[in-house]
Amino acid sequence: MHFLRGLLLSLLPVAALAAKNAPVDKFTKFQTKQLSSTPLKLDDAIYAQLTSAPRDYSSVILLTAMEDRFGCQLCREFQPEWDLLSKSWIKGDKMAESRLIFGTLDFINGKATFQSLGLQTAPVLLLFQPTTGPHANPEAGPSRFDFNNGAQSAEQVHRWIARQLADRPHPPVVRPINWTRGIAITTTILASITFLTVAWPYLLPILQNRNVWAAISLIAILLFTSGHMFNHIRKVPYVVSDGKGGVSYFAGGFSSQYGLETQIVAAMYGLLSFATISLALKVPRIADPKTQQIAVIVWGGIIFVMYSFLLSVFRIKNGGYPFWLPPFS
Amino acid sequence: MTDSIVEPFLKGNTGRNTRGILRLSILCLIAAAAIASRLFSVILDPWFNFRATKYLVANGFYDFWDWFDDRTWHPLGRVTGGTLYPGLMVTSGAIYHALRALTIPVDIRNICVLLAPGFSGLTAFATYLFTNEMSTSPSAGLLAAAFMGIAPGYISRSVAGSYDNEAIAIFLLVFTFYLWIKALKLGSAMWGALCALFYGYMVSAWGGYVFITNLIPLHVFVLVCMGRFSPRLYVSYCTWYSLGTLASMQIPFVGFLPIRSSEHMSALGVFGLLQLIGFVEFVRSGVPSKQFTTLLRGFVLAVFTIAFGGLVLLTVSGVIAPWTGRFYSLWDTGYAKIHIPIIASVSEHQPTAWPAFFFDLNLLIWLFPAGVYLCFLKLADEQVFVVVYAILASYFSGVMVRLMLTLTPIVCVAAALVLSHLLDTYLTMTSPDAPAEGASDATNGAAKKAIKQDGLRSMRSPLVGIYTTFSKGSVVSALTAYLLLFVLHCTWVTSNAYSSPSVVLASRMPDGSQHIIDDYREAYQWLRQNTKTDAKIMSWWDYGYQIGGMADRPTLVDNNTWNNTHIATVGKAMSSSEEVSYPIMRQHEVDYVLVVFGGLLGYSGDDINKFLWMVRIAEGIWPDEVKERDFFTERGEYRVDGGATETMKNSLMYKMSYYNYHTMFPAGQCQDRVRGVKMPDQGPVLNTLDEAFTSENWIIRIYKVKDLDNVGRNHTAAASFERGNKKKKTTKRRGPKVLRVE
Amino acid sequence: MRWILSFLLLAFLATVQAVSSAGYKLLVVLEELADKSKYSKYLGDLEARGFSISYESPKSDKVALFTLGERAWDHVLILPPKAKGLGPLLTPKLLLDFINAGGNILVALSASQPTPSGLISLLLELDIHIPTDRSALVIDHFNYDTLSAAEKHDVVLVPRPDAIRPDVKNFFKGDGKGGEAIAFPRPVAQTLGNASPLLTPLIRAPRSAYSYSPKDDVDSVEDPFAVGQQLSLITTMQARNSARFTVVGSSELLEDTWFDAKVKRSVGMNGAPAGNEFKTSNQAFAKEVTGWTFKETGVLKVGQIEHHLNETGSEIVSNPKIYRVKNNVSYSIELSEYSWDKWIPFTPPTGDIVQLEFSMLSPFHRLPLKVAETTLTSTIYTTSFKLPDQHGIFNFKVNYKRPFYTNVEEKNTVTVRHFAHDEWPRSWVITGAWPWIAGIGATVTGWVAFVGLWLWSKPVPLKGAKGGKKNL
Repeated sequence: MHFLRGLLLSLLPVAALAAKNAPVDKFTKFQTKQLSSTPLKLDDAIYAQLTSAPRDYSSVILLTAMEDRFGCQLCREFQPEWDLLSKSWIKGDKMAESRLIFGTLDFINGKATFQSLGLQTAPVLLLFQPTTGPHANPEAGPSRFDFNNGAQSAEQVHRWIARQLADRPHPPVVRPINWTRGIAITTTILASITFLTVAWPYLLPILQNRNVWAAISLIAILLFTSGHMFNHIRKVPYVVSDGKGGVSYFAGGFSSQYGLETQIVAAMYGLLSFATISLALKVPRIADPKTQQIAVIVWGGIIFVMYSFLLSVFRIKNGGYPFWLPPFS
Repeated sequence: MTDSIVEPFLKGNTGRNTRGILRLSILCLIAAAAIASRLFSVILDPWFNFRATKYLVANGFYDFWDWFDDRTWHPLGRVTGGTLYPGLMVTSGAIYHALRALTIPVDIRNICVLLAPGFSGLTAFATYLFTNEMSTSPSAGLLAAAFMGIAPGYISRSVAGSYDNEAIAIFLLVFTFYLWIKALKLGSAMWGALCALFYGYMVSAWGGYVFITNLIPLHVFVLVCMGRFSPRLYVSYCTWYSLGTLASMQIPFVGFLPIRSSEHMSALGVFGLLQLIGFVEFVRSGVPSKQFTTLLRGFVLAVFTIAFGGLVLLTVSGVIAPWTGRFYSLWDTGYAKIHIPIIASVSEHQPTAWPAFFFDLNLLIWLFPAGVYLCFLKLADEQVFVVVYAILASYFSGVMVRLMLTLTPIVCVAAALVLSHLLDTYLTMTSPDAPAEGASDATNGAAKKAIKQDGLRSMRSPLVGIYTTFSKGSVVSALTAYLLLFVLHCTWVTSNAYSSPSVVLASRMPDGSQHIIDDYREAYQWLRQNTKTDAKIMSWWDYGYQIGGMADRPTLVDNNTWNNTHIATVGKAMSSSEEVSYPIMRQHEVDYVLVVFGGLLGYSGDDINKFLWMVRIAEGIWPDEVKERDFFTERGEYRVDGGATETMKNSLMYKMSYYNYHTMFPAGQCQDRVRGVKMPDQGPVLNTLDEAFTSENWIIRIYKVKDLDNVGRNHTAAASFERGNKKKKTTKRRGPKVLRVE
Repeated sequence: MRWILSFLLLAFLATVQAVSSAGYKLLVVLEELADKSKYSKYLGDLEARGFSISYESPKSDKVALFTLGERAWDHVLILPPKAKGLGPLLTPKLLLDFINAGGNILVALSASQPTPSGLISLLLELDIHIPTDRSALVIDHFNYDTLSAAEKHDVVLVPRPDAIRPDVKNFFKGDGKGGEAIAFPRPVAQTLGNASPLLTPLIRAPRSAYSYSPKDDVDSVEDPFAVGQQLSLITTMQARNSARFTVVGSSELLEDTWFDAKVKRSVGMNGAPAGNEFKTSNQAFAKEVTGWTFKETGVLKVGQIEHHLNETGSEIVSNPKIYRVKNNVSYSIELSEYSWDKWIPFTPPTGDIVQLEFSMLSPFHRLPLKVAETTLTSTIYTTSFKLPDQHGIFNFKVNYKRPFYTNVEEKNTVTVRHFAHDEWPRSWVITGAWPWIAGIGATVTGWVAFVGLWLWSKPVPLKGAKGGKKNL
């Protein structure tokens, strides 16, 4: 048997001839196919043939739905990784010692298979262990890779397959070096450097301008203290519509918020502190008593109203909060 | 009339003395208020620090230093002396011995309980000093101290009995910064050394010292970029860095991190940079040639880049420890959620929503930016520090809830700055008289010329002052109202949110009366009284310290999560079926298993809700044996009722939680009040565990691990025999005979 | 000194205590007391060996195994009753509890009297199976007694058993001359499951034997219950708490008639000629089986366990709670074996050793224990080794479980701590540290010299400075 397989493997290069003489073993056929184009494009018939027992080879099959009308984001994200994996595996395993066949079954060609497997979702990655031969695996059902946490990188899937196919060669995933990206980065860097050198005399005053820095730092502080990082990390929705057509600006609950909500809060903070600054710095510098009087009243009023509004907003978030200021109670 | 009487006390020497006395008494009052506001409820927690302190007091410092704790992390044990920040324990130990020396008999427990409030008083004082460095106005310091004393953001971690590292760390943080500013201003090596000393103390007290380690170099770097390099800067920083690093390396837990881990690299880099710049400055002072200096600048740049490249190289080659996980989670907790579930599972490591900010610092949060803006007025070194601190701290507090603690001081300071400025402006008795146009114009012009080149837009026109008493009165009264509201807010928050201990739950009865739920202590007392002293308790790590402290029994894992694999082992035992879990428990010599179950009471912080974290952590180590997917139904729901997945139903945690639960209810009405679902009438079956104890409200359930069957049956058979159903006699055999082999 | 003392103590105990190491209260369950006469010799032997026997019928209420929750008897001997049940006081659960409580049971089956269902389900619990047909018995056409069972071939003659493994001690080989035979009249065969490691067949049927049930003749010949060596005539089960349980296939084996009966071996399978008639060795064999079951032989006892630090220049503290990594420690354990009426030094059979494990989660060391000294009643095994370089909570563990010997499982927990801060070699001992130390010294001296020079040298007036420079 071993000798026979060795023979077949040695015949692989001339498998075209081998294909002629009548009952050639399934694996050799698929192997020759996938040497030319991997992963194999399957349809129901080939799928059935590929996965029918007895198999003395193992096969990994991705059931996917690439067409736009299915709107399978995950499938499209995973497809390049999948191609990369299969290609590098086959390239790394010319002599097919791992006896692994990569196949892709698109929903278009494989409706029957999807139904027979009772699949509602895609993509699904199935691995069929050999039923005969040295690595024969008694438990018949294919083992299934779950995509429950997002699209997987080729390396992760490779690790999974390697775990499944113990004591067989696992050719590593080789990623082609991304030249374009590298070039882009270098060019941008060089460009920025040249730009800086050219525009330095014009940039310098801006860089040394106190107002600019003050503005930058204040904006940063306002962003952070109004929970922007929370939005960034938790990916909260910008705004949510309440049941009756309108939009609800404020999320109920103490530890949840919307994007717009945080911006409103930031605006309130900004206004409040701006009013304070004016009261503290601008107003005492107003020469004319009348204007100053008015300014004091205006700014003071703004602070009062805004603060009261802020408190009322906070009462939305935290039910039991007892304090409030007029007019918003 | 009154004025004339008060007059002499506010003028000249006597005046200064009176003000000094006033200031002192006010400070003392503030400290008193700070302490008093933290005494709403007193219960000791966390227990590990208390236990460690007791050990220290009992066995002396060196035994504590070399302490190998064989009551936790069974059977690995924990090199406790080398894996904790000893500052807290040593502090209270020192206080204890000092009081003993003064022949004041005091129990170490009382010291531990009252340490946090006491230090909060000191923090207020440190804030006062710090703020005084920032502004000339005398009221700013007092305001800042007052804010710091009662700001909920700080109270949250320093109520009486919350005996945690933060209790003293915040004081050290603020005081170190004060010393740093002082050293920077005076450029004196002595203050720098003092700063280094307190920095060392801080390192010994809290892991958050990294914040200082990065903030001060950043400050220095910014100053250098602003062209503010000066001998003062050089002396103070070099003194601080060299001595401070040496000091920090004395803590076993820190060891050689300051020169190997990349959190500390910024400090090292700035140190090198300063040397170079110092050298350049020296040469420039010698050589006036312009080209030469430009050359030198180029040289500096080159050296800096080379150094940076070398740093990166070392990090990549792994000579310098790669960025630690907790550090990543500081930048983006999303990272932690994927890569280090053990960190993401801690509630303190979640990002902060805006209500939390407002809740902790009410009106300070909007006075804060104004205060920072004020610092731009006269941008001296110390104001730069405030700005840098403000931005950095607000970012980090936004990323992690617990870092709100580091934000609070600077918020208090900034708010105090702007408030005091307001009050100073609006509380001056003298009003300017309406100006004659021409003169004002002239002065304006002059002022404009004076200030044009740099300075803020709002400062362009000259200062006149406030004219009418009405505006003064209105503004001041409004501010007073806000401040009073702030005080009310702090009191309310402290009494409601931050004074509820973790081990005792309070609930309101329908009639409004308060009902205390004390299951935790009940259960721990049961363990203490009914189990062998060396009975190993397996529970999820949240309860490790409490079991160790209150029940005094060895645990497998606890809140000091130093060994992820061991925690994953417990997670695996909890999330696998009995057949898998039992050998694990045998191997780890587990005697009892403790689970927290809130289903009866509606207590949401129970183990079923934490269960997914156990699964994830276990999956991180055994991806083939534990799969998170299997705990979700086909439609991706996490269910515990009849529709739960088989894996869920067979998991040990599920069985232990719901064992015999259905017997509490009449048929068909059994329900889980947390998940709010109806439970099946047929409860799970336990073969390898015996129910040993269930607390009054079923919050804590303790199970005993059965021994191997005496006559060699498997547990399922033995249990079914106990239940009274006999084995079927082997009737006509089918299939081939199994032959007995010896 | 300590050894001598302990051994004196042991000797004292040995003299006062009952003849069996597990107590002397024996309950014999038999239907009516008239049957006593049948077993008079056997029971006489037991009484002679010091057992106080009380006879009860299974129906009587004095047969209760537990009084006030305490075990009422040390040993129970159940002779086959006529009735089909054993009554409410001997349910399988009670019998099992009796075993779990450390009591020993010897059950004698008989093909003539059907085995009570209670017993059967008890045997099933222990993974011992007997033929479904209660009257089935073992027949061997090549090893039967020509005198008593010339036609029916149902008195099987079996030689003394060999040890099941070469490295297991054989308690049942008599004087070891061989050539003697035990007569099993109408035995009930048992087969053993593979699951339980606690089961050991004491004596198996000859290769040519098979189980035959007179009722369904054909069927049992077509598909016999079991054949040959698979048939166990006497089965023993030793529970984890070392309680012993023995099933004797044929109760008649214990009867007087067969104790001194003469038998004559039939023609063997390989045409071995029929030997001349001789006396069965049932009596001696019964004594050995009963003695083993009632813990008169094959009982191990752990005397003193001691471990201590074995460093030079450290005083010996016995059984400390804590060690340090890489300490040298020595461990010793004292083992005695009980044989019939006295404790004797235990020596494992040839090809077997007693091992010590030093384990945390898994063994870090597994060492053979060597004999250090032998007293009159015990052997002291000892070994000394270097602790692993791993701190934690470890166990000294001696786990010696062999067929026919009571289980020895001794665990002594110790803590192994890490190096204390002052137990490392000092810096000047480490050659690699010398350059750094030299560096420190150089810096200090350099600094001091510089300061000295600075303080000593008088500042030169500026205009003179040039001259000064020239001089240098």
